[in-house]
Amino acid sequence: MIPARRWVPIALLVGLVGGAAVVRVQQQVDASLGPLQQEVDELYLPSPEWVKRLSLGYDGLLACVYWTRAVQHYGRHRLEAWEGGRPSYALLYSLLDITTTLDPELLLAYRFGAIFLTEPPPGGPGRPDLAVKLLEKGIAANPDYWRFWYDLGFVYYRAGDYQKSSEAFHTGAERPGALPWMRVMAAKVLAEGGDREKSRALWWEVYHSTDDKAIQTSALNHLAGLKVDEDVEQLQKLLKRYEEQTGQPARTWQELIQAGLLRGVPLDPEGYPYRLMPDGSIRLRPKSRIVSTLARSD
Amino acid sequence: MGRIGAIALNTFRETVRERVLYNLIVFALLLIGTAILFGQISIGVQTLILINLGLTAITFFGLAIAIFIGIGLVYKEMDKRTLYALLSKPVRRYEFILGKFAGLGLTLLVNVALMTVGFYAALFYIRGASGPENFPSLVAIYFIFLQLLLATALALLFSCFSSPVLSAAFTFGLFIAGSFSTDLLALSKAVQAPWLEGVMRALYYALPNFRNFNISTGVAHGHGVPGVLVLHNTLYALLYTGLVVAAAVLIFQNRNLK
Repeated sequence: MIPARRWVPIALLVGLVGGAAVVRVQQQVDASLGPLQQEVDELYLPSPEWVKRLSLGYDGLLACVYWTRAVQHYGRHRLEAWEGGRPSYALLYSLLDITTTLDPELLLAYRFGAIFLTEPPPGGPGRPDLAVKLLEKGIAANPDYWRFWYDLGFVYYRAGDYQKSSEAFHTGAERPGALPWMRVMAAKVLAEGGDREKSRALWWEVYHSTDDKAIQTSALNHLAGLKVDEDVEQLQKLLKRYEEQTGQPARTWQELIQAGLLRGVPLDPEGYPYRLMPDGSIRLRPKSRIVSTLARSD
Repeated sequence: MGRIGAIALNTFRETVRERVLYNLIVFALLLIGTAILFGQISIGVQTLILINLGLTAITFFGLAIAIFIGIGLVYKEMDKRTLYALLSKPVRRYEFILGKFAGLGLTLLVNVALMTVGFYAALFYIRGASGPENFPSLVAIYFIFLQLLLATALALLFSCFSSPVLSAAFTFGLFIAGSFSTDLLALSKAVQAPWLEGVMRALYYALPNFRNFNISTGVAHGHGVPGVLVLHNTLYALLYTGLVVAAAVLIFQNRNLK
């Protein structure tokens, strides 16, 4: 028998050197395989019914896995969009459909799946029709859950269909446990159409209806986006006034400050200065996650 | 009863000596690791995944023990020729089979109990509180234990007349077939020929219905389990397991051991 004091250091040395060599070689393999192993967005089992059948009754677990796949699919493509790409989100609805077939009670998959599907390109697929389909499936499976009607109203609202939005809020208001402001929302949306105040109220409701940090962050980004839209409209008015006063467009915020139109460099809701571009447009800082329709980040 | 108890205790000791309980470490690491991982990469399903995965892991770890230990219960004793020494003592063959079944049942009980403690510890860590909403999971674990007893009985039955590899294949095959049982029933309603419908229905009732015991998705959503289901599932497991163990006794009783 070899004493431990002799073999332990040798084993450690061999383990360390061997392990480091394996890591190094693997990195080389990764580099060489790169183009051959490009990730393909594919569903090997596209039928939700078949996936459910093959789950052997462990459909709840599989639903969580598919939901995570949907979140990852959306998140990965959304990152691509932030980096300037035009992702397709091709699998998003199928993944959500499989998830909700596997576990029809996985409420958040319908709710936040609908938000993901409604998001306009490039931040999402811009498919409110699929969001409606998903929510209608959720309503059929969970008829007592009034918040789906809220979500349906919100999807129609974001799509600009105020008639259907109002109807959804109104139907939801009739459900047991529904909050009274659903009725108010139904009336306001029908009477006044879309405006920022209502969008703000709807996003705040999304924020308060969940404990999940990712969804809350997304809602806050949308709320910040609404504030940015307001700021941009205001700043554009000031830029126009400056041009009228001086006869030439402003090239920096400093010029507006010197003209007494601004008190300081305007900041976005994250505390970063807005960027005044040479063509007169206003942009957010690069990599900003704020979802704004009037100012983009690059 | 004394002799059956002694064989059961020895079987339990033997399985513990074979380091079967090491799977508990893997179980704990799996639960903690997965809960942390899914907390990072998913949205809002940390508790759901913990309950679903915990219950599935208890099932499959238990099933692995039930099958891989169960198939060797009789075969190993014969292979090592220890069975002949045992049966030369005043021990009847049925006592040997019942003792072996009870011993593995005890191992599974201890294993499932320890995994339950780990499962609830993880649940407490995630939820931060323990209340009546956690009770349905306990019923689900009880159902899993019934399911494991049924699998043990099947493994024991096959080990009375077949090799370990074939016994494992048969038992696992029956577990899979029994998990598809509801599809079999649905299929019987879809076929046109009445005789085929009859065959499907007969298969549905003949195969061990493992689907009966799987309520993990419902309890993960906090649904209560009706008392009548607990009663029916207990009766079903006792009846089916009893029949399978009786068949094992019958086969072993008539087996030529020379």
